[in-house]
Amino acid sequence: MKAEGYSALHEFWINLRGIPNHVYRAMFRGGPPKTDRTRSSFIFGNVFLHLHSVRTHLWSLRWSTTMGLGIMTTAAFLITLVTGILLMFYYKPYTDVAYQSIKDIHFIVPTGRFMRNIHRWAANVMVIAVILHMARAFYTAAYRKPREFNWFIGWGLLVATLGLSFTGYLLPWDQLAYWAITIGANIAQSPREITDALNITQYFDIGGLQREILLGSDKVGEEALIRFYLLHVMILPLTLVMLMAVHFWRIRKDGGLAKPANADELVTEEAKEFFPVFTDVPTKTYHLAAVVKGKTSAVGSGPEHTVPSMPHLFYAELGVLMLTTLICVALAFISDAPLKELANPLVPENPAKAPWYFLGLQEIVSFSAFMGGIGIPMLCVIGLGLIPFLDREKEGTGEWFGGPGGWNLVKWSLVVGFAASIGVEAFAIHFGWLREWFPDIPQLFITFINPGTVLTAIYAAYSIWAVRRYNSTRAGALALFTCFLCGFIVLTVIGTYFRGPNWDFFWSPSDWGGH
Amino acid sequence: MTTHPSEKKSRFDPEPMPRRDFLGLAALGSMAAAFALSIFGMLKLPKAAVSASPAKKFNVSLPDTLPEGEAFIPPGRNVAVFRDAEGVFAISTVCTHLGCIVKTSAAGFDCPCHGSGFQKDGTVRKGPAPKALPWLKVAKNGSVLTIDEDTKVKTGTKV
Amino acid sequence: MNKNKYLLMVSSIGVFLLLAAAAVSENFMKDWHGIQGSAKTTEGPVDLRLRQIVNPQLKVTDRCVTCHVGMASGEQITTDQKVGAAHKPVVHSPTEIGCTTCHGGQGQATEKDDAHGNVHFWTEPMLPAKYAYASCGTCHTPLNVPNLPTLENARKTFERLDCYACHRLDGRGGTLRPGGNVTGMEGPDLSHVGLKGYNADWYAAHLQKSQQAVDGAWKTSFREVGETDRGALKIFLDTQMGAPKLIEAKAQFNSVGCAGCHTVGTFGGDAGVNLSLSGFKDPNQLNFTKVPGEHTLSNWIVQHFRSPTSTVAGSQMPALGLSNEQIDLLTLYTLSLRRRTLPDTYLPKDRVKAMRFGAREFASNGETIYTAVCSSCHGANGRGTRFSGIVPNPSITGPEFLQLASDDFLFQTIRNGRPGRPMLPWGDRVNGFNDDELRAVIAYIRGLGGNVQALPDPKPQIWATGDVNLGAALFTSNCSGCHGKSGIGGDGPALGNKAFLTSVSDTFLVEMIKRGRSGTVMQGFANPSPISRVLTQAEIESIVAYIRSLNAK
Repeated sequence: MKAEGYSALHEFWINLRGIPNHVYRAMFRGGPPKTDRTRSSFIFGNVFLHLHSVRTHLWSLRWSTTMGLGIMTTAAFLITLVTGILLMFYYKPYTDVAYQSIKDIHFIVPTGRFMRNIHRWAANVMVIAVILHMARAFYTAAYRKPREFNWFIGWGLLVATLGLSFTGYLLPWDQLAYWAITIGANIAQSPREITDALNITQYFDIGGLQREILLGSDKVGEEALIRFYLLHVMILPLTLVMLMAVHFWRIRKDGGLAKPANADELVTEEAKEFFPVFTDVPTKTYHLAAVVKGKTSAVGSGPEHTVPSMPHLFYAELGVLMLTTLICVALAFISDAPLKELANPLVPENPAKAPWYFLGLQEIVSFSAFMGGIGIPMLCVIGLGLIPFLDREKEGTGEWFGGPGGWNLVKWSLVVGFAASIGVEAFAIHFGWLREWFPDIPQLFITFINPGTVLTAIYAAYSIWAVRRYNSTRAGALALFTCFLCGFIVLTVIGTYFRGPNWDFFWSPSDWGGH
Repeated sequence: MTTHPSEKKSRFDPEPMPRRDFLGLAALGSMAAAFALSIFGMLKLPKAAVSASPAKKFNVSLPDTLPEGEAFIPPGRNVAVFRDAEGVFAISTVCTHLGCIVKTSAAGFDCPCHGSGFQKDGTVRKGPAPKALPWLKVAKNGSVLTIDEDTKVKTGTKV
Repeated sequence: MNKNKYLLMVSSIGVFLLLAAAAVSENFMKDWHGIQGSAKTTEGPVDLRLRQIVNPQLKVTDRCVTCHVGMASGEQITTDQKVGAAHKPVVHSPTEIGCTTCHGGQGQATEKDDAHGNVHFWTEPMLPAKYAYASCGTCHTPLNVPNLPTLENARKTFERLDCYACHRLDGRGGTLRPGGNVTGMEGPDLSHVGLKGYNADWYAAHLQKSQQAVDGAWKTSFREVGETDRGALKIFLDTQMGAPKLIEAKAQFNSVGCAGCHTVGTFGGDAGVNLSLSGFKDPNQLNFTKVPGEHTLSNWIVQHFRSPTSTVAGSQMPALGLSNEQIDLLTLYTLSLRRRTLPDTYLPKDRVKAMRFGAREFASNGETIYTAVCSSCHGANGRGTRFSGIVPNPSITGPEFLQLASDDFLFQTIRNGRPGRPMLPWGDRVNGFNDDELRAVIAYIRGLGGNVQALPDPKPQIWATGDVNLGAALFTSNCSGCHGKSGIGGDGPALGNKAFLTSVSDTFLVEMIKRGRSGTVMQGFANPSPISRVLTQAEIESIVAYIRSLNAK
């Protein structure tokens, strides 16, 4: 197909000269993104930006709506992803050289120490941000229909994030890593406490199986290291990326961020700044709807006060991205990632502590391995997953502490949550527990009656009271979630700062003695 | 900022021309600078600061009984060291074609990979090798020779 | 919506500044940048770059040479600054085996505190300069080391015979060069002959040359050497491996009977802990509450020698009452017990001999064996002198004992020990004494007691006849206080011990009961004494008969 009047050779020459221009136009089909219209088509035409809707509601852009926590989690993940890939240039996942390769990264790899520090801090920021993000979604009741499934996905993302962080813990192959993973693996084995007590371990050893699958052997060794490496650099990141893609996509499909019913009125002041604001009620649905029954969430829900995502949403997103980067880089600049002695299977760390976000678990594990490691966490995890299906109320969606009870209930739940957890802990630390009083007590008693289960029972009772008092499941959920959050914080702080050698209570790590 | 008179409220109105947004440009520019710097750091990382192989500069003592014209190959090194009446010299044994290790032979050096051949002084005798085997810098300090595999000297330099 | 732009701008500028600061501190502010910047070679300034010594076989990656540039391979530093100075000439080139192989520390580190190992999470800090020779123990196992007096005597012999005139040893001597013709007149360097070996006929060869020489050093510096001196020279030469301080330290170890309780390598007692890797103890795992000074392994070991029980709770080790010099030597030796797994090509001969063929680490003469093994219990003079806090052990150099104990009895006793008692079967265990060594130590013990030989005993081993019941009664009233009920042993020897009864003769028992054992609480029952009546021959034989009957049980 050659143009009129030109020889093929001449046309070839013209095409050759036109390459820069044609490549540019092939990339920016709608022209450079300079006006709202061209920006919109730019978003359509870009695979990465296409995850965003073209227009964003002004309510979603308020800082108080999300506090940028989801973006912060994503940003932290991207930072760990980039720094993690860079670290893989030098890291060797073999027990006899893993530690040395981290030493190399620390001492001679150009920017290596800084990258490792950022990687480590970004991982921690990610864990904190994902927990806070979940709390935000919960307190603004953003899990309700039609967002139940996305809450589910988010729950999976939380688990994957903790898994990523935990598997990364072993890779340096130092004492910290070795003993933290030993403890973690033994928590996985804790169902044995029940099967042992019932005397059925030899037939049904689910705990032992879990541990063995995790470690690939009967102890933490080369097999475990290579498994953790595979999980850390391959399986979990891929899972996470997949879940993230679904999570983001569902935000759009579920009609954007959850907002109060009167969101449009609430943003009228902000809307004056913008032109043009999207005010017409959409009547059309996607053309796919020709074959799909029902309507998309946008139909009939207007008028909406939306602004073009580009640039308004992107400034917010980039701002949070850079803020997260700043936090990680600043922390990395101040504090080096830890690297203790080479792992020594013969000399346990004392105290041997799991990663900080598992120290709350380790605290209740110290009362009962099964309840702490499996029972109560499973209760939390299942409870979290089921919230959107149990709370099908409407009131307060999209509002902070929305729903019956509101901030007043949350305030009292904070008091109850902190008081109960500190009280139970103080009692157990000061007076001991059943085994100290009745040395011959059967293990099953301790498994079911220990500070962890007592605390859970108190929280449960309080939440049931809240359900009855406000005649609302949402109120009970608010109470229970707040209480568990308090319990998590208190137990984690105690496990981190107040537990020393032999898991004894100390007022300060400086009292630990020894070295 | 796309601020407009409030009367223009419909998306069907013609679009106004965008105005220069200095704050936005400054923000994006500083982000680009930060990105550029971080990418520079990331690009630095894969280039190892120090080679994991033993040092290229090494000390060696020739055996007292090394006959003239016979190569002494220091263990683990790709260098042939010779001694004759005029002095000591070292020739790299890495083929200049594609890096195989040449073997000393009666004719000089022969490469087993693609058939390059070199004279006793390292100049090409046959085969695809584009250049002569380089002579390496030798420093003499008493009976100890310091040979630097990274520094080439002119063919024929003996110490 | 400007606040988002401000957020983006401020964060970005912050990130930019922090990245720039990190880049500057990494690329320009490290200690080694300054050190290398001021170092000069004969060819001008050195390249500013990281340096390292790599030896994959030894698993060494030592970046010490990044600061100590003068020790890097091929670098010729001329500025006489301490950090950049060249390594002094040593047998093992640091550019081949690296730095940490000998000095310890963290080779991978590039910052001073980390590299020197003075950080919390590095278990092997550098050896203090004072104990530097302990580093030889990483690979080497000095063999045939005598006890300290023997070594001193041998060293003095070497000096007295003027061997230094022609030979060099550890950088000393070889100064006499008669005739002006420098080369050829000097004897070989003897610094490492203990490892490399030497001509066993050296004396005959020396003598011949000396007789043939007209004048010069062969006439003036060499004289005939007596047999004793030749023996001393052999002991001296056999230990020469270029580490005089380590040999001295090991000689000290061989002088205070440590091996009686502790095993090192393949030989030693088992009452104390195995010391084979005690130079690699992790300081983080030690209790420093009673240790003054820095928390280093060497300080801990020193304090442990001063006061074992206060340093290690529940330690059985007695305070040995050592002088500071002795403690320093023993500390050096303990630190030298730092065996590393080595590839075969790097295994030194001495270590192969010691680990694979069980070669003796101590000299096999009677004196060294006695001081190295026996003296901790039986005392340096054999009088059973005890360290306070340790169960008393028999005196073995009293005249009565040496007269009554036949060489065969002593031989069996040392060889088979006393099962169940502290005396181990020193000949009948892994890498135990051979017959020659047993005879040598017996000869030394007799020498300690004034060269008393056993009296001839024409009687058979068992001849005493008597009333076992009477013997039992007498034993209970007279003997069991020290020898224990039924002779199971107490402060005194266990007379009912099977190994003892198998080798002891009735003559020994009867005469010992009669005469007693001077220097101990065992008084002769044939002599009047304030605490017991005189026993008759028949009564004594009854006791012996009773003791014999214990064997049957």
